[in-house]
Amino acid sequence: MQRDWKDADNLLGVLFILPFVATALVFMVFPVMEAVRMAFFYIDPLNPAAQRFAGLDNFRTLFADALFWKSFRNAAFWTGTSIVLQTVLGVALALLLHMPLRGISIFRGLLLFPYIVPTVVIALCAQWMLNPDLGIVNHALKQAGLIRDNVYWLSTPDMAMASTIGLNVWKYTPFVTICVLARLQTIPLELYDAAKVDGASAIRRFLDITLPQLSDVLVVVVVFRTIWTFNKFEEIYLLTRGGPGTSTFNLAIYSFEQSIANLKMGVGAAAGVVMMALLFVGSILYIRLFRFDQDPA
Amino acid sequence: MNTNETTRRRFLTDLSALGAGAAAASFGLPAWAQQKSSKTGVVRVWGEPGPYGGVAVDAMNEWAGKFAPGLKFQIETLSWDSVYVKLMTDLAARRPANCISVESPIAMQLMAQGLLEPLDDVVDKVGRKRIVKGAKWEYWGAWKGRQYVLPAHHQPHLLIVRMDVVKELGLGDPDKWDWNDLLNAAKTVTEKRPNMAGITLALGRNLCTDYHFSALLHSAGGRMFDVEKQYEVVFNSPATVETLEYVKALYAYMPKAAVSYSFLEVTDAIVTGRTAMAFYWGRPYGRAFEENKAVFANLESFNHARHPKTGLRMNWNDFQGWCIPKSNNPFIDEVKAALAYYQTSPQWLVRYCHSLMPNVGPTYQDVLDDPQLQTHPFFQTKRRTIETYYNTSVPHSSSTANELMKGVNPLAGIVHGRSILAETVQKVVLENVKAADAAKWGHAQLEQVRKEHIQLVM
Repeated sequence: MQRDWKDADNLLGVLFILPFVATALVFMVFPVMEAVRMAFFYIDPLNPAAQRFAGLDNFRTLFADALFWKSFRNAAFWTGTSIVLQTVLGVALALLLHMPLRGISIFRGLLLFPYIVPTVVIALCAQWMLNPDLGIVNHALKQAGLIRDNVYWLSTPDMAMASTIGLNVWKYTPFVTICVLARLQTIPLELYDAAKVDGASAIRRFLDITLPQLSDVLVVVVVFRTIWTFNKFEEIYLLTRGGPGTSTFNLAIYSFEQSIANLKMGVGAAAGVVMMALLFVGSILYIRLFRFDQDPA
Repeated sequence: MNTNETTRRRFLTDLSALGAGAAAASFGLPAWAQQKSSKTGVVRVWGEPGPYGGVAVDAMNEWAGKFAPGLKFQIETLSWDSVYVKLMTDLAARRPANCISVESPIAMQLMAQGLLEPLDDVVDKVGRKRIVKGAKWEYWGAWKGRQYVLPAHHQPHLLIVRMDVVKELGLGDPDKWDWNDLLNAAKTVTEKRPNMAGITLALGRNLCTDYHFSALLHSAGGRMFDVEKQYEVVFNSPATVETLEYVKALYAYMPKAAVSYSFLEVTDAIVTGRTAMAFYWGRPYGRAFEENKAVFANLESFNHARHPKTGLRMNWNDFQGWCIPKSNNPFIDEVKAALAYYQTSPQWLVRYCHSLMPNVGPTYQDVLDDPQLQTHPFFQTKRRTIETYYNTSVPHSSSTANELMKGVNPLAGIVHGRSILAETVQKVVLENVKAADAAKWGHAQLEQVRKEHIQLVM
């Protein structure tokens, strides 16, 4: 039986969803559409009335710029390394926190700390902690006898990249842990009991029971974390501003630099559009490749 | 503690009261300054970090108290590294501050883009003949015969030297050094004083690096643009290559982290005694006085070491001035009147300079000669350094916005926004690119700026 949308229930449903739809239109759909439009225009932000159609020029500028490709490579490395580390550490921590130990809930609570502290606070603290001359990290390592000379955490290209990845992993591993922990708590214990009866070792039980049971949640976590990490701006910008040199530039910082420092809003928007397309295609491929879009038979 | 001792803080406090009282009581106001305004609201003023912007705003509020009681001038401090971004985003969002204090390259970019209100009428009121000897109004920002920027101060970055270290190591008089002597001094300190860098420059991807590098480039006789030849890019030159190689040679005696240093880190290195020499403006003196008196006692500033061939010893002088955004600004007349009020008050101008000695040099000769200026306690201990910052540095002034003082160049603001000079330097010191190749890269970037913005300057 077809129901009229004016039915009281339907109307109530529409009313409930309306705030979200309105918010999404204003803060998500419109900015995305505007970014796509801007990618095809020459726009001087100081003289917005003088904008004119650019065709594909902004994309040509983008693809001819060595810094764009360097930023792309950096972004891929930064994202890939961060996601692998977050996933491995996140699952490991979740397994630890899943153990029935006394006081474990305190550790579960503490785990959220990095995730809930604002990024700007973390980045500024990290800057001081990693200061080669005055920072507590070098001081502690020296006191422990692990290093003799100062480590330049943010001042050499390799160490700066490693430091930004480290910060990202530290902050967002708890997200993975929480998601995985929640799933772990729903796995039927009977599966493990049966495996134990069959003589399966702990590693076997992890590989044959835990991991398959976690696969759905890991897919979601990896997709979301990949999108968020690839787009990440504030951590890198606050910690290194893309430096030293341009060694920690990713596409988000590249887009920002083009738009604000170079005042090339069209090129910056084009970089954003490319990022969006890359992530969209990447996500679809990932889901298709691992057949996560198919319902289990 | 001796309670009768004159401290810098107490001096400033006393002077505030004195200045305000004197200004209120004895300042005879001309008719134009007494024009009343019935407007209400907050007049937003942008300034760089430091107390001097606040002093100027206090003066403007004194004007408002008398002639526009519904207005309140309010300072908003912009950090150095975000000046460009903040300016551009707020201008683009059509909510600029009503009055801006900004360094000349950026002011000149805004001026050429037609975003600023001409200030010739204010200049007439302030007095065209007052400008300090050796300087010209255009250094702060004039374009096509009109003045767009009113001088706030000039602040050259000079060679700051720990004289105790230099004397102990027998390195001679820094005022007589050339580039080779400076390099040798940095090397000697690094070798003989553990835990102390020979020299510290900012080499990060930021404005401070642009300034440090361009002072050396200009001393070598190099430039980015030739203003007289239709802003032709002349960066790819032997002078640029030599300067880049020199910076790389100096880098061997700097903290390794200098490649990520900006303004603050250089100041820290000076004040905490971790460097024997640095390029910097006068700002560290006040901080050293407060935080590290032993360092303060041994600091002296000199005009930069001479280039061995050209003999030039240019500094990057921040000809910082007040400008007024033209659009979306309901308080243009009020800001003009308030600026004229404070710029014609010797008391306020002296207070402005005293607020951060010897960082902000007087821009008017009568203020420089004012006996009141010399009542600051730093004149007892740092007279030579003050004289260098305020006076003898002026003939050695240069700026990216007016290279070798051969002509105003608004393209410099765009160059700074893109960190082109800093990135060129980083290619050499960080990526080990050959100086000649880095110069070519920088040249190409500057060509791009010229191509994209030539309509601004032609």
